[in-house]
Amino acid sequence: MGDLTFLAAGYAVFWIVSFVFIYTLVSRQRNLEKEVQVLEQLVQQESETE
Amino acid sequence: MATQTAVTQQEQTTTTGGSFTYGHALTIVSGVLMIAALYMALIWAPDAVNLTAPAERAAQRIFYFHVPAAWIGFLAFIVAAVASLLYLITRKQKWDVWALSSVELGVAFFAMVMLSGPIWAKPTWNVWWTWDPRLTISTISWLLYIGYLMLRGAVDNPDRQARFAAVYAIIAAMSVPINWIAIRWWRTIHPAVVLPGNNSGAQGGFGMSADIRTTLIFCLFAFTMFFITLMYHRIKLENLKRRVETIRQQIIYQ
Repeated sequence: MGDLTFLAAGYAVFWIVSFVFIYTLVSRQRNLEKEVQVLEQLVQQESETE
Repeated sequence: MATQTAVTQQEQTTTTGGSFTYGHALTIVSGVLMIAALYMALIWAPDAVNLTAPAERAAQRIFYFHVPAAWIGFLAFIVAAVASLLYLITRKQKWDVWALSSVELGVAFFAMVMLSGPIWAKPTWNVWWTWDPRLTISTISWLLYIGYLMLRGAVDNPDRQARFAAVYAIIAAMSVPINWIAIRWWRTIHPAVVLPGNNSGAQGGFGMSADIRTTLIFCLFAFTMFFITLMYHRIKLENLKRRVETIRQQIIYQ
């Protein structure tokens, strides 16, 4: 292995873990936004039927 | 009607992204600091003088991110323990949110430590892994906090979940000082570079010149800001999740 291979692999770990964590945050946020939209539709339907 | 207002407010909270917020400012500042830390670690910092093998000398630069990631892991677990204690005293949901967010971040940062450590170890110790006291305690500590997240997933009742998790986080935090002391108490291959001890078995240690110390301090600061930013976003997300869950329960049972 080249002299810089370990260095590159070491730093790749930090960035990959960081981006995976940030991606999970964004993904969970999007899912919650979708859930809010579904809840709002449910509430509207209920208020229309009342 | 009250539920409708709550849902509408909730949607406004989640979808309002146009204005510049405190979260945006934190994200930009920590992003810039992390890029600057990368520049300092890879380019600005000098080579460690007492390391002769080229691969070992290059891999030594992993130190600038490995040590701050470990520091953030320890910090996150201590924050979780303090928040858990505050939860048990006050029973305020806020502290449970803090503890959960902090443990999740601590596990992520400790994953960086556990994965980058063997990559640094191979050119320095000539092995990827050895069951040395520091490495073993770090593994146990990491698994303990993964267990914390699994425990939360296994208990349905929210109050009981928060209570069990709080007690668990306080007990698990004992692994932090043991981990810190491990390289000073026991004969271990892991070097103590920041506050050197009297460990004759340590391999891969190096002298801290002024520039190396400056780079490390900067990286510690950048990682701390990165942690604060991620905590801010994670806490916000957890609060949102809990509010949505409350509204969902209101709709189901009304």
